[in-house]
Amino acid sequence: MLPVLFRFTSKLNFLNTSHNRYFKRMELCEKMFRSSPTPISLASRAHSKSWMLLAATLCGLILATCVQAASPTLSLILPRGVQRGVENTISFRGARLADAEEIFFYSPGFEVTNLEPSASAAVVTVNIAADCRMGEHVAQVRTRSGITEFRTFWVGPFAATAEVEPNNSFEEPQKIALNTTVQGIVTNEDIDYYAFEVKAGQRISAEVEAMRLGTTLFDPYIAIIDAKRFELSADDDTPLAKQDAIASTIAKEDGTYYVMIRESSYAGNGNCRYNLHIGTFPRPLAVYPAGGKVGEATEVKFLGDPAGTTTQTVQLPTTVEPQFALFPQDEHGIAPSGNPFRLFEHGNSLETEPNNTIAEACAAELPNAFNGIIGEEKDIDYFRFTAKKGQVFDIECFARRIRSPLDPVMNLYNATGGSLVGNDDSRGPDSYFRYTFPADGEYVLRVTDHLGRGGETFVYRVEFRPVTPSLALGIPRVARYSQSRQQIFVPRGNRYATIISASRSNFGGELQLQSEGLPTGVTMHVENMPANMSVMPVVFEAAADAPLAGALIKLSAKHTAENSNISGHFKNRADLVISAPGQSLYVFKDVEQLPIAVVEEVPFTLEIVQPKVPLVRTGVMSLKVIAHRKEGYTKAITLQFPFRPPGVGTRSTVVIPEGKTEAFYPLNASGSAQIRTWPIYVLGSADIGGTGWVSSQLATLEVAEPFVTFSMERASVEQGLETQIFCKLNHATPFDGTATVQILGLPANVTTTNMEFNKDTKELVFNIKTDKTSPAGKHTNVFAQITITKDGEPMTSRAATTQLQIDKPLPPPKNAPPKPKPMPMAVAVAPKPAPKPMAKPLSRLEKLRLAAQQRTNPETDGGEE
Amino acid sequence: MTATFRYIACLALIISSTAISAAELTEIIAYPSDIGLYNARDRQTITVQAVFADGLTRDVTAEATIAVADQNLIKLEGTTLAPTADGETTVSVTFGGKTLSLPAVVKDSAVTPELSFKLDIMPIFMKANCNTGSCHGAASGKDGFRLSLFGFDHVGDYQRVTREIGNRRINLAFPHESLMLTKSTAVVPHTGGTRFRKGDSLYNLMHEWIDAGALADKADIPTCTKIEVYPKSAVLDGEGATQKITVRAFYSDGTNRDVSHLAFFLSSNENSVLIEQDGTTTALNRGEAFVMARFDTHTVGTHFIVLPKGLDFTWKELPENNYVDTLLHEKFKKLRIIPSELCSDEEFLRRATLDITGRVPTVDEYNAFLADADPKKRDKLVDDLLGRKEFVELWVMKWAELLTIRTTNQISYKSMLLYYTWLQDKIANNVPMNVMVQDLLASNGGTFANAATNYYQNERDTLKVAENVAQVFMGMRIQCAQCHNHPFDRWTMDDYYSFAAFFSQIGRKAAEDPREIIVFNSGTGVVRHPVGNRVMEPKFLGGETPDVKGKDRRQIMANWLASNDNPYFARNLSNIVWAHFFGQGIINEVDDVRVSNPPVNGALLDALAAKFTEYNYDFKKIVRDICTSRAYQLSTGTNETNEKDSRNFSHAALRRMRAEIMLDAITQITSTSNKFPGLPNGARAVQIANGNTSTYFLTTFGRAKRETVCACEVKMEPNLSQALHMLNGDTVNSKITQGKLIPTRLGEEVPIPQILEELYIRCLCRKPTEKELTNLMEIISQEENKQQALEDTFWALLNSREFLFNH
Repeated sequence: MLPVLFRFTSKLNFLNTSHNRYFKRMELCEKMFRSSPTPISLASRAHSKSWMLLAATLCGLILATCVQAASPTLSLILPRGVQRGVENTISFRGARLADAEEIFFYSPGFEVTNLEPSASAAVVTVNIAADCRMGEHVAQVRTRSGITEFRTFWVGPFAATAEVEPNNSFEEPQKIALNTTVQGIVTNEDIDYYAFEVKAGQRISAEVEAMRLGTTLFDPYIAIIDAKRFELSADDDTPLAKQDAIASTIAKEDGTYYVMIRESSYAGNGNCRYNLHIGTFPRPLAVYPAGGKVGEATEVKFLGDPAGTTTQTVQLPTTVEPQFALFPQDEHGIAPSGNPFRLFEHGNSLETEPNNTIAEACAAELPNAFNGIIGEEKDIDYFRFTAKKGQVFDIECFARRIRSPLDPVMNLYNATGGSLVGNDDSRGPDSYFRYTFPADGEYVLRVTDHLGRGGETFVYRVEFRPVTPSLALGIPRVARYSQSRQQIFVPRGNRYATIISASRSNFGGELQLQSEGLPTGVTMHVENMPANMSVMPVVFEAAADAPLAGALIKLSAKHTAENSNISGHFKNRADLVISAPGQSLYVFKDVEQLPIAVVEEVPFTLEIVQPKVPLVRTGVMSLKVIAHRKEGYTKAITLQFPFRPPGVGTRSTVVIPEGKTEAFYPLNASGSAQIRTWPIYVLGSADIGGTGWVSSQLATLEVAEPFVTFSMERASVEQGLETQIFCKLNHATPFDGTATVQILGLPANVTTTNMEFNKDTKELVFNIKTDKTSPAGKHTNVFAQITITKDGEPMTSRAATTQLQIDKPLPPPKNAPPKPKPMPMAVAVAPKPAPKPMAKPLSRLEKLRLAAQQRTNPETDGGEE
Repeated sequence: MTATFRYIACLALIISSTAISAAELTEIIAYPSDIGLYNARDRQTITVQAVFADGLTRDVTAEATIAVADQNLIKLEGTTLAPTADGETTVSVTFGGKTLSLPAVVKDSAVTPELSFKLDIMPIFMKANCNTGSCHGAASGKDGFRLSLFGFDHVGDYQRVTREIGNRRINLAFPHESLMLTKSTAVVPHTGGTRFRKGDSLYNLMHEWIDAGALADKADIPTCTKIEVYPKSAVLDGEGATQKITVRAFYSDGTNRDVSHLAFFLSSNENSVLIEQDGTTTALNRGEAFVMARFDTHTVGTHFIVLPKGLDFTWKELPENNYVDTLLHEKFKKLRIIPSELCSDEEFLRRATLDITGRVPTVDEYNAFLADADPKKRDKLVDDLLGRKEFVELWVMKWAELLTIRTTNQISYKSMLLYYTWLQDKIANNVPMNVMVQDLLASNGGTFANAATNYYQNERDTLKVAENVAQVFMGMRIQCAQCHNHPFDRWTMDDYYSFAAFFSQIGRKAAEDPREIIVFNSGTGVVRHPVGNRVMEPKFLGGETPDVKGKDRRQIMANWLASNDNPYFARNLSNIVWAHFFGQGIINEVDDVRVSNPPVNGALLDALAAKFTEYNYDFKKIVRDICTSRAYQLSTGTNETNEKDSRNFSHAALRRMRAEIMLDAITQITSTSNKFPGLPNGARAVQIANGNTSTYFLTTFGRAKRETVCACEVKMEPNLSQALHMLNGDTVNSKITQGKLIPTRLGEEVPIPQILEELYIRCLCRKPTEKELTNLMEIISQEENKQQALEDTFWALLNSREFLFNH
């Protein structure tokens, strides 16, 4: 017993020691920065230059320690919701955040007044503007050594109250005031009750943000309950809030009312956080019409509120904002989340009931969007409109995408009711089709629900859009479900690179990448993206004196063709909640800005030694990469070759070993590799405390046709004998000097010698020697490897394969014992009259013909006549 | 049958005829009641059955006088009628002074029709056992010759008989050398041995058919629409009594014929009634049997009772609480059984509480019930129990088993819980069963939005969905008919695929939530018959072919299935309810309804079904009828007339408590609580929503995993692990300790005899007997540690059979 215990305690001690050491180091690092005369202020980017220099120097001195903060991560922003118009303290929780410097907010309205970093959190004081857009917002942390992934948090109208347990039964609820946001957690089988006083006639609305918070799979259920325990309004899922819940009712009498929240299937855990808004705010479930013309004042109806339908006129923004929403508001408050609203270049055509048959179809006009409500069960809406021959439209029904309960089915008919095209679910539950109108005339569009449902809030709108080109840029993911390396962090005096992908739709052509708002001292190196490519490398370089700063930049691309105004910009998606079945994506967040930062120096740079020769098709090349290490930095560096031109292959990683300064990246080109000069780079990562990333310069790689190609004859030989492989050379590009050629892929115990040739050589013959043990059979992978030296660098390519057949000697025929002897004699004798053997070595075909001739004409001895 | 046996049987017959001379002849029945002879081949045998005042019947065919009025038309050969000329006449049957006159029709008496492969030759394969699964009916045939199993494919069989191995199976030149005949008569070696002999009627038929050219059937050949088996029932007086069975087939062209020589006979209980392939039944031991005849795709049975010879029996008039008792008593009279006495109040309290609510009575309930002097207190108790929420919970659990509510790869936990909640709502709100089933089977929508649609997520295979629906809601296992006509039931492959066609248009698509699926009527999709690839029109099982054009097929099926039009629905549900209270169904197993497994009391089942329909499918009312019947209140003790009866509900059955109820009972008795995933602490095992949730205890005691709809999922068989777990597992022992009942009572200074009394009431719902009390007091008084001694007693009570069984 004793030894085991002893072993255990000693292990524990060891752990403690190492932990202590870790914390001491962290403390040291933090103190270093704190002791600086100006506290690091995030909001002001105007750091004094001298301070920066000081910091840089310090950092250089204590490099090994302080870069522990490299590759910071952000796992959670707390609280999950904040109130606008007031000062909030927000904690950005994660890892390696001790050198946090700045918070990137993706939308306006946030002013940071203080930032307190520690290893596991950056605690920030933020003033949130009173007119800050409500709903989901995105932020991420920039540290001196990197950028975290981005996460979301929510801005709401109400002051927050934290949940206080126990509040698990109707009998012991937590008392709250109306118009409050409760921030709580639903643990396993947990039920939370909140009680509040309401006057008769008052509206009680409850809306929860839970799944939408993107923290974990948390599907909430809420109910508004009266003092007699009757559920007045309860909701599990509602289209407006997806898996989140919205309940709303009008109080019939004065008294205490309750809101209950639980996980819909009584699951839950410590991560199941919620913002539960309870108040008197209006909570309509739909807006109609759910879109309008940009810049115009539009009259809309808010539907589905227990207090009834209200009509408002809203002034719409002048530009299209994809995430635009209307926030219902009245004298009792404002809804904490908006009703999605489409901004469109054209106006609205509204349905007029009855329009339930083709004959009754209501008139609508293009290019207006058609709007309607599937108002009751089995309701069908028909619109009659005129289109011209040859018009092509993307016809999109927006229903679930504007959070309507409708699951639309859309059909198009001609004026006489002939069916033309239909769709149910091409856009998730929504419908879409592209249609080319075959003739001028009237057409009828039909919209209904897939299950024949209907109701007051079953709003939809159909938009007809001419087919327009679109373009989106992105960074291909390097890890599933992760934002790893979806940010640009360039070490000072160094480079960082990424691949930018472009998805073009409805057009093709070359693209030019552009960036706007790069941090001071950062330059972007990129070539135009050819029409046939959807990815290209981009290298960002930071000057040695570039300030440690960052920005959310706008990365865009445009079509290079003259008179083209096709352009598009960067988009990135974070997978926030992934769960069963089959790793389904429940919550995600798309952003359109690219975070980029200059980070602290990294103790090495990488350089590709620009190759002087091309990589030829079917050839190989060893790309030399040099690591310029800072004095004393010896760690191994792992190289990657992220951008591979079409047809070029290589290994996933190559390592520059510890203490070494160079490595060769082996590249190979297939026979169909695309011939072009390509931009290339290598990306290196090494342990600098955390992981530091650095790229080489943007070098070029030329992919070219081989200078010489071979055609090789097939050969056959009997075990123990010799044969020849006859090669014809085709010179595509002349070269100087001599080239060497080597036959590879020969089976065991078969030998030949390497040969040389020059630009004038037309034919080569390899003498192939076998012995008795050379394996019999067809050996199909015999090929020649040609190495031509140009500018002192080798260019290696591979000629087409040929076949070497090795046969076992024939057994002697049973009844003809004397015969076998003279036959080899004949062969042996044959060379005799060969003072001119090189004149014409026989090809395999010729040999076979000869052999056949000898068989049919045995008396005639080979070539004697 | 050996000669000796025949002799004995004969002797027995003579003895029995003298023995029954005491009872008066009440009527004679002649089968068939009308005679039709439709061609020169046609023959009809007459069977005469005498019915006596004491209910006994006897085959008196041999003793009766049979006479044809116009002997020019019909010739009488023994008891067989053969046509001689067309016309109408009567046949008179006289026995014991009673005479019956049977109308007779003769048509086409000069026409000798061609033998038909389907109508005349196919029955031979069945009769001679050629096409069974162990012989040529096997999937790959036997010894190189394959017939369709039980003759589901007569076209294929004709092809194989006449076209495979040309000229050998059928030898048209020398018919008697056809393998079909030489093999069957074992003239050449035949693994199956001798199936019939040269000169037998089967031999002659086959020979004649081959001799005539082994012709294929014409397209308009009539089909057999039904068969009748005579006599319709029989009560045989003692071992050795015989009764001849005859079978008549009816055809789609309106004709009928005596097919006794072609029908295959079997008995459901060969211990009581033995049947020979010539149709002769012989009574053996006391009991009941269902004697069946199979011809074409039809199986029809007749009910036989065998009584001890010369049984001295006097029926004692007993009170009848309702129709249940009336109908049971009628059967008892036939069986010469007197049901047991009523059980005690204590037994009734425990039995009813366990059966209706799945709980054991509390001490207070015990005292109150025993103190109640109201003569109607048992009915009052039933009403009280039916009003409790535990009654609902118990039936939610039973339905959850039938609907296989559990999480699967297709059904997320949330879906499952919503499905369970849907079921709970329906049952708690006493939604009529037909409405609930219609809602379920016709459900469309998202599996969250309309959780009933999860039914179609549980099983996504069209054929299996159809099988499950038939099994759960009609109690029928139609699986066999997927590959061949059901050998022991009426279902053909046509029936199977036509029924499955109702489920061929279930559309499924992804909803917005990845866990949700939308089930809808896709409006397209068919089911094809594997033989011939025909598209099958939807047809109700045993019913008509409805018009489904442009309609939701499931809606039409659901409306029919859960309605009075479906003769099986109400019967099946009544039977399921009955089985819960009596331990076995009137048809047992409850989901094995088939011709060859008839109800033990068809009249009772019909009455229950009729009442259930009359009550608008309110199953609480049917439960009330059952629980207030005298039959439900019988003691488990038996008398000498019913001691061997285990199927007729003449005494209460000992039933082990099912897993959930036992765990809940132990928990309740020991004043402890359980924690199941997804349920609050203290919830009962009966309330577990997810079929996948289980504990060691529940698994050991056979909780249904809800993987299939089979009633056999709930395991009631005792086994060693159960005994060991009760004895020294962690349930009983630790619950006794956790509940702290004994230390609490000792702390309250309750006298030990009173503690013992409480323990007895808690566990067994009765007070200890004087003797038990004395014995226990003696043991406990010797024990120093009273707590331990009392806990040991507690443990012993929970391990007693009296506790483990509902009695």
